[in-house]
Amino acid sequence: MSNTELGDAGTDETNTSSVPAVRLTGITKRFGAVVACDSVNLALQRGRIHGLLGENGAGKSTLMKMLIGLVLPDSGTIAIDGTTESIHDPLTASALGIGMVHQHFSLVDALTVWENVALGDAGRLDPKATRGRIGEIAEQYGLVIDPDKRVGDLTAGLRQRVEIIKCLRRDPSIVIFDEPTSVLTPEESEQLFESLRHVVAAESRSVVLVSHKLDEVLHATDDITIMRQGKVVDQRRSVDADARTLARAMVGREVSLRSERAALGIHSLDDNGLDDNGLDGNNLDRADLDGIDLEEGATATGHTFETADSDTSNIAPDIGPTAVPVLRIGKAVVHDADGVIALDEFSLEMYPGEIVGVAGVEGNGQRALGDVLSSLLVLSSGTVTVDGAPVPTGKSGAMAKAGIGVIPEDRHDSGLVLDMTVAENLVLVDQSRAASRGLIDQKRLNAFAVEMIEQFSIACSGPNAPMWSVSGGNQQRVVLARELSQEPKILVAAQPTRGLDVGAIEYMSHRLETAAATGVAVLLISSELEEILELSHRIIVMHSGRIVGEMPRAEANFEALGLLMGGAAA
Amino acid sequence: MADFFSSVYEIFTTETTYSNGALLAGVLAFAATGEWVAERSGTLNISVEGMLLGGAFTAALGYHVTGSVAVGLLTGMVGGMLIAGVQAEMSHRLAADQFVVGLTLNILVFGLTGFLENEIAPDSTLARKFEIPLLSEIPLVGEALFWQRWPFYILYLLIPFSWWLVYRTRWGLELRSVGENPQSADVSGIDVNKRRRQSIYYAGLTCGLGGAFFLFGHVGPFENTIVGGRGFIAIAAVIFGGWTLRGTLAGCVIFAGALSFRISIQLIGYDINSELLQALPFIVTIAGMAIFAHRVRAPAALARPFIRGLR
Repeated sequence: MSNTELGDAGTDETNTSSVPAVRLTGITKRFGAVVACDSVNLALQRGRIHGLLGENGAGKSTLMKMLIGLVLPDSGTIAIDGTTESIHDPLTASALGIGMVHQHFSLVDALTVWENVALGDAGRLDPKATRGRIGEIAEQYGLVIDPDKRVGDLTAGLRQRVEIIKCLRRDPSIVIFDEPTSVLTPEESEQLFESLRHVVAAESRSVVLVSHKLDEVLHATDDITIMRQGKVVDQRRSVDADARTLARAMVGREVSLRSERAALGIHSLDDNGLDDNGLDGNNLDRADLDGIDLEEGATATGHTFETADSDTSNIAPDIGPTAVPVLRIGKAVVHDADGVIALDEFSLEMYPGEIVGVAGVEGNGQRALGDVLSSLLVLSSGTVTVDGAPVPTGKSGAMAKAGIGVIPEDRHDSGLVLDMTVAENLVLVDQSRAASRGLIDQKRLNAFAVEMIEQFSIACSGPNAPMWSVSGGNQQRVVLARELSQEPKILVAAQPTRGLDVGAIEYMSHRLETAAATGVAVLLISSELEEILELSHRIIVMHSGRIVGEMPRAEANFEALGLLMGGAAA
Repeated sequence: MADFFSSVYEIFTTETTYSNGALLAGVLAFAATGEWVAERSGTLNISVEGMLLGGAFTAALGYHVTGSVAVGLLTGMVGGMLIAGVQAEMSHRLAADQFVVGLTLNILVFGLTGFLENEIAPDSTLARKFEIPLLSEIPLVGEALFWQRWPFYILYLLIPFSWWLVYRTRWGLELRSVGENPQSADVSGIDVNKRRRQSIYYAGLTCGLGGAFFLFGHVGPFENTIVGGRGFIAIAAVIFGGWTLRGTLAGCVIFAGALSFRISIQLIGYDINSELLQALPFIVTIAGMAIFAHRVRAPAALARPFIRGLR
């Protein structure tokens, strides 16, 4: 199919069996303890568009950064046209004919279009020649733009056009598009893919399309590689793929975490536990070889659900027609710093004692939702009410005062002050427990801290241990202790288990369930689908700042969620 | 009160006011031009004060040894660049905090020149005056701008050159991109911290020249206290000017005008509280900043260190 397409577009030959334009072999990259890419093999052919699909953090961006020299691999080889190369900086990559159209990072708003295009070249600055080249590219690929406009004044679509021109100007033979449509309108995306075809067809270039959107990968590519947790889990031709299998391969992570927990005996899996484990393992192996079998995958998912359902600590609260929501967000609209809409008439009601899971690919408004409830963002329009009383948005401390506790997404960035002590961190939000008339009473502070340390089993050398001396899991317990000690009506947990080990994850899950059991409404924002499926009573899926799907847990499964997350219609 | 206004009128019609103003503006312009380049690359370089003083001292030293003002100017440049070197390497190679480095440098240079001045006691002198015919006959400002001690005329080359460098060369384009969005610049293949270091060296060069000019054009014998906060006024001029060269120079002229006004009013003998007068230029500076500072846009990455991977 791809061959005919290319033939139509005017290329005389596409020989996929010849030496690939790029061959990555056994590429591994670690960041600290995290393995971003784990022995990845990937071959890119000339004249074809290769889709690289995966969730945030699956390792696809890191992999591409190694190809353009922004990140150096720990091991593995990169061969360009059959020759092994060491790509240690962007200039080397550029000299090898590798160009990248970046998602956000490569344009300077304060400079004009032609200045941006000229940036990173060598030799004398020649405005006239640069403008001329922009005109040529504009004509060749239909990417018309005014070279003297300031980039900061352009729309997202036009900015990306500049980005593409900047990349094509150096005439790369290998072009990487990193999440190109994340900032575009559907029409702009359509235009982009049209020009993408041109780029490939005209000079038999090799194109990589990095994306987490199922639709566009299916429509715009010839080959697809799916990555998950740093590994390639599936490789196939686009003609042999459909949205359901792709969604499953992309998000189907129940395997690792659940089996790991079972192995450690933390989670009370029933007798099916071992079978479950074995089946999941098989499933993964098969996925590696020839894609995921839909039937068996469904069975595996069914198993996990049974076990989760049998867990009695997690029964949904009885929300009758007379129940009164504790939190009500009404048609909330939020714009981010760039003026892009982050929440788009987002409405949500939460009832005491329920856990609402917010699923979605990162960057679809979840962060804005958390930030609004942390008083960090002001609504452009819409309301937030707690127990029927409106709460002003963006006013420091207002949400906390109204009874909203927050476990922030990045505990180092906004959850804790690492250079202060554990005790001090425990009273950061509300000093009234340890202070009177503006003075901190060391005795009361100490007593409170000791109580919290015991209650939440925080492993530290004492109340005066500096925060940085405490491990990640215990740092998260400090945040948790602080927020729960406020006795909040609503607890927002944003990525609460990120970067934690299995035991700490289990503890956090247990605490969230307990909080809900005592009547706290818990809003769980997580990119870990299995976490959402395990803990939530109700699940909402966010896409482009809106709720695109809502379902009780019993009706939820990986496929449905995966499809919704990818922006496909339910 | 009428007395006061007639004095002010007198001040604004005497050529000394303008010559003094030009001298002071000249010192500020040397320093601010380089500071402008450094800030456009993203460094809020506060060691200007130390660069000026170091430049003045090494200029005096150069003159002391050779008896040549030209050599003094060269050694002044070298002195300024030495201090720039410490600032640049510490803050943009070793990733030390640029303000801590700058602050420390200012104090260090002050102490060091004070000590060396006592040890060496370099003697220096004013440079010769040089008249540019015809132009110097323009009323009021002619003499101030075209009958100056000769190092002043370096400004007439330095300012357009700096503008050309920043706006018309690849180096300047890269420098501006580094000050606005270092991550983008990095992705485009530009060595961010290298550009920033280079621009600090450039600031060191112009500040060193400024210090030397201050010595040979204004004070003559070196003293440890001559710079007296002018480095900080130069920084204020860049901010006041909204990080454009034109605005920066306008800032230099306005702030120098205030300094010159103070000198003239004292010369005339008008009795006004001298402490208040001392404060006048700084009050003008603060007022100027308060009025204009929020209307302008700073380089987006100003004073933000660049570490690859962080954002």
